[in-house]
Amino acid sequence: MGRGRHIRLSLMPTDFESVEVLGGEEEVSLLEILDHVLNAGVVIHGSLVISLAGVDLVYLGLNVVLTSVETALSNLQIQEKRKK
Amino acid sequence: MSRVLAYCGFRHGAQITLPAVGVGAVPVQLMSSGELGLLWSEVEWPIAPDKMQRSALEFHQVVRHVFNQTAVIPFRLLSVFEDQQALAAFAAENQARFLRDLERLKSFVQMECVVYPAPATERQDFSSGKAYLEKKAVAMRSSEGFAQAVRDAVAHLSHEVRVREGKNGTRIFVLVERGHESDFRQAVSVLPLPQHLSRRISGPWPAAEFLSDEVKAPQIASQKIAGAK
Repeated sequence: MGRGRHIRLSLMPTDFESVEVLGGEEEVSLLEILDHVLNAGVVIHGSLVISLAGVDLVYLGLNVVLTSVETALSNLQIQEKRKK
Repeated sequence: MSRVLAYCGFRHGAQITLPAVGVGAVPVQLMSSGELGLLWSEVEWPIAPDKMQRSALEFHQVVRHVFNQTAVIPFRLLSVFEDQQALAAFAAENQARFLRDLERLKSFVQMECVVYPAPATERQDFSSGKAYLEKKAVAMRSSEGFAQAVRDAVAHLSHEVRVREGKNGTRIFVLVERGHESDFRQAVSVLPLPQHLSRRISGPWPAAEFLSDEVKAPQIASQKIAGAK
């Protein structure tokens, strides 16, 4: 299993210092944080495509985030299954 | 090209300490509009994909720094303004709404419990659509039952509860008085979990799920208001 592909959904949000090293079980802490910083809070601006952990997250019009890190997690899991 | 990246809003007081640097290690600035404080930085835009993870963590650290001291209204990471004047205009227009939500949420933090299907240990029988749908229905009923059990278990701690179904499970958001986070964890972690489900407890987070719609999506709200006229 490659770096940044380890999905273990049992972690708490952690402080910045403890998630600087990515990969392994810290990855989900990072995803938890990403989920919140991207999907929770005030929406001002949209229309962007970015890439995280090799997965494109697509944001489209009207300032509403249509695709989230939750979807990214799904995509990662699907990719893992395909690899096996 | 540079843009003004907004981190969070909070009720500004002399006792609140502010972080020095934010996304891209650039200085974090304070904009005050009455009692409302907004933290922002001038950043290179767009953020390069290879810097997104680090930027997200730096953004989180700024919000967390203030949230550890008081209630905040977080902006989303990709929320940018053209320039400082645009942010000032936004602050002036939304100051009263932000302060209302900050007042309402000032003593609370958001705790979360996500319930999701446990990784399958045996081969799944998806030989027919019916079998698949039956399993899905069972999982959904289990999630709903657990969500209700969480509501009951934290009733003495929760000010408000919201449940949202997602692709990867059921998310239960609970507004808990600051200082009672460990009570929440304890109450939820001892609940018996239905077979084939796993749980993830997290928090405290800023109470973003409990923001009013006009604060959460101010442009959309103002468009709606304009459309109604």
